[in-house]
Amino acid sequence: MNEPKGFKSWIFTTDHKKIGVMYLVTAMIFFVVGLLLATVMRIENMDMSRQVIIGPQLYNVAFTIHGAAMVLFWMIPILLGFFANYLVPLMIGAHDVAFPRLNALSYWLYVGSGLIAVLALVMPGRLDTGWWAYPPYSIKTTANIAFYVFAVHLLGASSIAGAVNFITTIVTLRAPGMTWGRLNLTVWGIFGAFIIQLVGVPVLAAGVTLLLFDKYLGTSFYDAFKGGSPILYEHLFWFYAHPAVYVVALPVFGIVSDIISTFSQKKVYGYTSMAAAIMVITVLGFETWVHHLYVASTENWSRVLFMWATILIGVPTGIKTFNWLATLHKGSIDLKTPMLHALGFISLFTIGGVTGIANGSVGFDIHVHDTHWVVAHFHYVLAISMSMLCIGGIYYWFPKVTGKMYNESLGKFAFWLTLIGAMIAFLPQFHLGIEGIPRRYWKVPIRYAGEMRIAAIFSFIAILGFLLTIFNILKSAISGPKAPANPWNSKSLEWQIPSPPPFYNFEEIPVITEGPYEYGKPEGDVKKGH
Amino acid sequence: MNRVIMLIAAQLALFVLPAAAMAKERIPDPAKGWDAHFILLMVISVFVYLVVTIPLLYFVIKYRRRKGNEVGAYIEGNVGLEVTWTVIPLILIALIGVHSWALFNDYRTVPKDCFEAKVIAQQFSYEMISPEGIRTVNELRVPVGPVKLNLTSKDVIHSFAVPQFRVREDMVPGRETYLWFNAKDPGTYEVFCSQYCGTGHSQMLAKVTVLKKEDYDAWVKQNTSEAAASLPPEEQGKKLFESLGCIGCHSVTGDKSIGPTVKGLFGNKTALTDGTEVVVDEAFIKEKVKNPKEKVAKDYQLMMQPNNVMDTDLNAIVAYVKTLK
Repeated sequence: MNEPKGFKSWIFTTDHKKIGVMYLVTAMIFFVVGLLLATVMRIENMDMSRQVIIGPQLYNVAFTIHGAAMVLFWMIPILLGFFANYLVPLMIGAHDVAFPRLNALSYWLYVGSGLIAVLALVMPGRLDTGWWAYPPYSIKTTANIAFYVFAVHLLGASSIAGAVNFITTIVTLRAPGMTWGRLNLTVWGIFGAFIIQLVGVPVLAAGVTLLLFDKYLGTSFYDAFKGGSPILYEHLFWFYAHPAVYVVALPVFGIVSDIISTFSQKKVYGYTSMAAAIMVITVLGFETWVHHLYVASTENWSRVLFMWATILIGVPTGIKTFNWLATLHKGSIDLKTPMLHALGFISLFTIGGVTGIANGSVGFDIHVHDTHWVVAHFHYVLAISMSMLCIGGIYYWFPKVTGKMYNESLGKFAFWLTLIGAMIAFLPQFHLGIEGIPRRYWKVPIRYAGEMRIAAIFSFIAILGFLLTIFNILKSAISGPKAPANPWNSKSLEWQIPSPPPFYNFEEIPVITEGPYEYGKPEGDVKKGH
Repeated sequence: MNRVIMLIAAQLALFVLPAAAMAKERIPDPAKGWDAHFILLMVISVFVYLVVTIPLLYFVIKYRRRKGNEVGAYIEGNVGLEVTWTVIPLILIALIGVHSWALFNDYRTVPKDCFEAKVIAQQFSYEMISPEGIRTVNELRVPVGPVKLNLTSKDVIHSFAVPQFRVREDMVPGRETYLWFNAKDPGTYEVFCSQYCGTGHSQMLAKVTVLKKEDYDAWVKQNTSEAAASLPPEEQGKKLFESLGCIGCHSVTGDKSIGPTVKGLFGNKTALTDGTEVVVDEAFIKEKVKNPKEKVAKDYQLMMQPNNVMDTDLNAIVAYVKTLK
């Protein structure tokens, strides 16, 4: 079969690789939007005594769209759109996903949802509700909640379609010999993430639908004065929106394992417990949402119960981290740009992880809930660390996707800018949090102006690093030198075919005889353990 | 280890038998407990961070790729190590959880004979009602000792956060929530709204003033309702302007806030969003309080909700506004 070319071949494509690349480009546009909004807020943070560029209302709009763009339109799509689409069929030895046309529909629903999100930013009635849009504020405000609800609906439909598609693909389309124990951990992570999407998204969609009815049709699901409860919305929202964190985290965990294994030329340590930890987090992740409601009039016993589930997540996460370290032990470590990003991810993620246990502690949280502590925590654990890892993954598979090589020295330089910037940018906010200063404040008390200025300056450095990275990726995609088919000497299946992969991937479905990480495997007798 | 088991047993007992917690004679100070818990968390956090990053850096240096080390050693894993780094984190987490649980019980178990006041939030101010029925705005006056606050909201979800007492709780319309703190020392303590509530969120600030018992009693005496009723109308209007929350959005100092200032407003012309001008008189103020949706001032957004205020109170408010020249 010949590969179609030209503009139309992209618009109407059902090829998982082309859809993946379109996800990559679209998600990066939203990443830039999110970064620019962050820049605007940080400029406003430079001076706590006066309005620098925007007033409180636009500031609220800025953090609303910043959060939505980063989580819903950059991180989830880059992982479950680009990485999942591009890699899953290549890694399991399939020609395409199970339902290619549904796959294309998922992408276009995502684009539609993204356009509505942009409208919510630029049209009158700009969305100022935060990406969580709690009633009664979201019902009373003049902001256009319909945009919010429709964006969530379209994106939700896209996610559910994606979940059905990829769960089916991973379960049924694995090549002969590709047992569950031979899957890349990236595939395991994507599998767990899509299970969460399938279970969680419908609940969120129902929650925002009731919000729409309350706002425009006069129902009172969330109106406390007419027999409803605004806390119901918080439960419905966080039932999905907290596991959404693991939707991002699980594929990231998988990609970290793949990168570390390749650039250490060493088998992933404790593969079984790594895969098991992913599935444990998939399940346990659904028992933690009430920690977002620790001070929201929930029952005392429920706060304690959900504390235990929340801090227990630290155990499987710890297992993963220590196995990464053990993979490095006695490896052959090559500090190429993707590897730097993976190691940088671990160093940032661990800060976020330990402060996450602190947040999870219900006694501790009573003082830091909704403060800058939380902002700092989730930027370390999720936002910056996982964006950094996504960039690492893009670099890692860049030669695979484009057949070209990126600029190594610019890649490393941009990495250090981002790491140093991000490392320092959020430290002052931990301090503000311990002092109990609430987040989402246009202006914090003037005595913290100096700290917020330091935070702002270092965040500019981190953002500059990210923008340089994006420049590197774009420039190298256009004019990078030709790359060999397997520049990293990886043993994983996707690197065993030409780069970029041929149309339909494999001329013949391969028969798999060993896992993706068998570096340095001795011939014949296999020694287990040390 | 024995201590941990005892702590667990004690906490279980507290959880199952709230009466046991009530019987405790000592009044705990959750703010102190928080500080101790914070130190525990920081020690464990720094320990874990070093346990991760030091081997990371060491391995990256020691096992870097060079001649003779092109491929890593073939090691599949080790069950003993997997168990180790499952069990040790589990123990640390159990320790944190039990410690946190004990602290949480202190936070949520209100001591007997607490001073009890009510706080009602609205965009973007707090109204406080003392046990004697004295209403204040954005300033809560309490005597030294444990204080319980019953919280609710008139409009959207707000929050009552007092960082120096290490406590906060959301204020939800249609529900009564609570928090308590141990106000040991007289002084002034900042209050923040920490649940996002709209454009004026970052200006929704207040304070708790802790008074010596005798000072508090004197303040109560001055402000009991009989004394207040004998006040001249403009004084009553001032109290209403504060207690109804008007002052949360309309300054009396001439400063621009969420709404226009009322200083120098009376008798003068003011521009409206529809391009017309209007003279601010008694009828206009009364109409605006009852139906704020019409005739919105230029350069401002409509944020205000209709208010059902008695005519006598409206007269007092107008009398007060007249005095702000």
